[in-house]
Amino acid sequence: MTRIVCIGSRFRAEDAAGPRVYDRLLGEALPPGVDLVDGGLAGLGLLRFVDGAERVVFVDQVSGFGRPGDVLALDPGDAALAAPPSPDHGGGLPYLLRVLPGVCEKTVPRVSVVGVEGPADERAIARAAALAMELAAGAAADRGAR
Amino acid sequence: MDHRLSLNVPLNRVEGDLEIRAEVDDGVVTDARACGTLYRGFETMMVGRAALDGLVITPRICGMCSTAHLSAAARALDMIAGAAPPPSAVRIRNVALMTEQLQSDLRQMFLMFTADLVNERYARAPLFEEAVRRYEPFKGRTVLDTIRETRKVLEILVIVGGQWPHSSFIVPGGVVSVLSPTDLMQCRLLLRGFRDWYERRVLGCPLGRWQDVRTAAGLDEWLEESEAHRDGDLGFCLRYGRSIGLDRMGRGVERFVSFGSLDLPDGTGVQARGGGSRLVPAGFASGHDQVRGFDERKVTEHVASSWFADGDGDGRHPMQGETRPYATGQESGKYSWAKAPRYEGLAAETGPLAEAVIARDPLFVDLVRRDGASALVRAIARLARAAEVIPAMEAWLAESAADPVFYRSPGEIPDGEGSGLVEASRGALGHWLRVERGAISHYQIVSPTTWNASPRDGAGARGPMEEALVGTTVQDAANPVELGHVVRSFDPCLVCTVHALRRGRPAGHRTVGLGL
Repeated sequence: MTRIVCIGSRFRAEDAAGPRVYDRLLGEALPPGVDLVDGGLAGLGLLRFVDGAERVVFVDQVSGFGRPGDVLALDPGDAALAAPPSPDHGGGLPYLLRVLPGVCEKTVPRVSVVGVEGPADERAIARAAALAMELAAGAAADRGAR
Repeated sequence: MDHRLSLNVPLNRVEGDLEIRAEVDDGVVTDARACGTLYRGFETMMVGRAALDGLVITPRICGMCSTAHLSAAARALDMIAGAAPPPSAVRIRNVALMTEQLQSDLRQMFLMFTADLVNERYARAPLFEEAVRRYEPFKGRTVLDTIRETRKVLEILVIVGGQWPHSSFIVPGGVVSVLSPTDLMQCRLLLRGFRDWYERRVLGCPLGRWQDVRTAAGLDEWLEESEAHRDGDLGFCLRYGRSIGLDRMGRGVERFVSFGSLDLPDGTGVQARGGGSRLVPAGFASGHDQVRGFDERKVTEHVASSWFADGDGDGRHPMQGETRPYATGQESGKYSWAKAPRYEGLAAETGPLAEAVIARDPLFVDLVRRDGASALVRAIARLARAAEVIPAMEAWLAESAADPVFYRSPGEIPDGEGSGLVEASRGALGHWLRVERGAISHYQIVSPTTWNASPRDGAGARGPMEEALVGTTVQDAANPVELGHVVRSFDPCLVCTVHALRRGRPAGHRTVGLGL
């Protein structure tokens, strides 16, 4: 089972890329065996969508990884380095990525992270949706796309 | 040589934004200020909205205690509507709130508080290596166990509330969930799994054995009784905490307040200590033994040191309180976006230790009598609360299956005033609102951390956390870990207190997501 988990708050422009990608993917046919999840602001609550999956593609807005509008396939290890030592409100995905190998009780999934550098226009959202689909289908290598 | 220092310590492992300003003289804190650094605006956001909107908006105040805000909001509306939720709705409301407390208490203890126990300061402490094995961020055995186990127990909230956090399933008249026997059995199994872990790894003994510990001397005997007790995380934290002096720091104002929580439903087999109508009694205590009944009318909030416009300079009851931000940079004496709640005009700490003292829990009353309300006692009270909570949750889940009525319509919400007082994970939480012509005309929220991290009041009296910091010895100004112990023993949640958007990340800082 593969899951695309879109993260962020649709009420905050600077964190809305994940939900916008989710909205776009809702209207598309997903490959067999792929689930789409609105991860919202669930933080460690995302574990229930991750534990036991074979592959998880996170989609999240990022800052400082590229130029505005860039869509990037991030190294999960690189993203995890941004984790604070405990999961306060700034921890989120990096903290989850950091502890994932130690807390999964079933299988530890292969993780990809699609980062959308803000501010992102609709073309960037479309590219992020396409990259998430590509990664979920297992057809893409972990590479960036612009 | 000048030995006087001013330390500004941003605390990055509280749930939000808190800065401690401490004056240190010859290595001892002589004064402290707790500064909430972000503006809170939910109260003004609510004005003009429909009466039920608080059920959707106020849970968004915090991702850690959204069920507590929902409970308080619904309870206030119950009062206005004269609603009488059926017994099983009361049970499920309670179970939801208690589940949230279980995850919050354990995560706060083992993901936030104990992270300071592996500070390099203690590298030569005899138990340090074992502490690292348990509490090292990202890797410690207990850290990872806690994430796994709290994730699972939270599924109870997902079953009864549809989602967590930020559910809106509690409404005037009950809950919107219609729980089948299978749903309730799932909840019981999830709770049983959590209880197994808590007994095995945290207590090192069955709940019943822990509940037999009734005095400070009895706690020492329990610790000596078996290797399992010493090796459990509660026993280990006690031993390690004492060895590094946590039992000798962080004594606060030694006044305690609880709003009370967890109504006993009609027909329940669960009994409250002292025979009250709520499992967690409301009250105010001065010292460890002077417990008085609680009168909601004696709650006030001061803004003399807060960046809000002063009214008449005195504290106001929340029904008369205002939220008018006022920060020009010119005013003197104001230093926090948190208001200063007071009971009978006095600062009081709130949280699990306060609940235990007010409930006259013999162990914690005796510990406070013997050692004072130290950082260690505060932390142990939080860790031990699950032992009180779990049996009642088990009973209420079982009782609900036999009485599956979860909602009784109160009709339209009329105009009127109401208050909803509960105990959130961090202590006393209240919502006060007025509905006029079908819309909210007034909304005030007093959250637990405004009690604990309050700034000075109109009389210049420090808040509990500020008072607890005074007298703390700081061995190394470059690594003031002692301040972290004291502050985090209160489990501060400045999201509740000041909550607002996080803006203005430093240039060049790389972030993934913003709000998780």
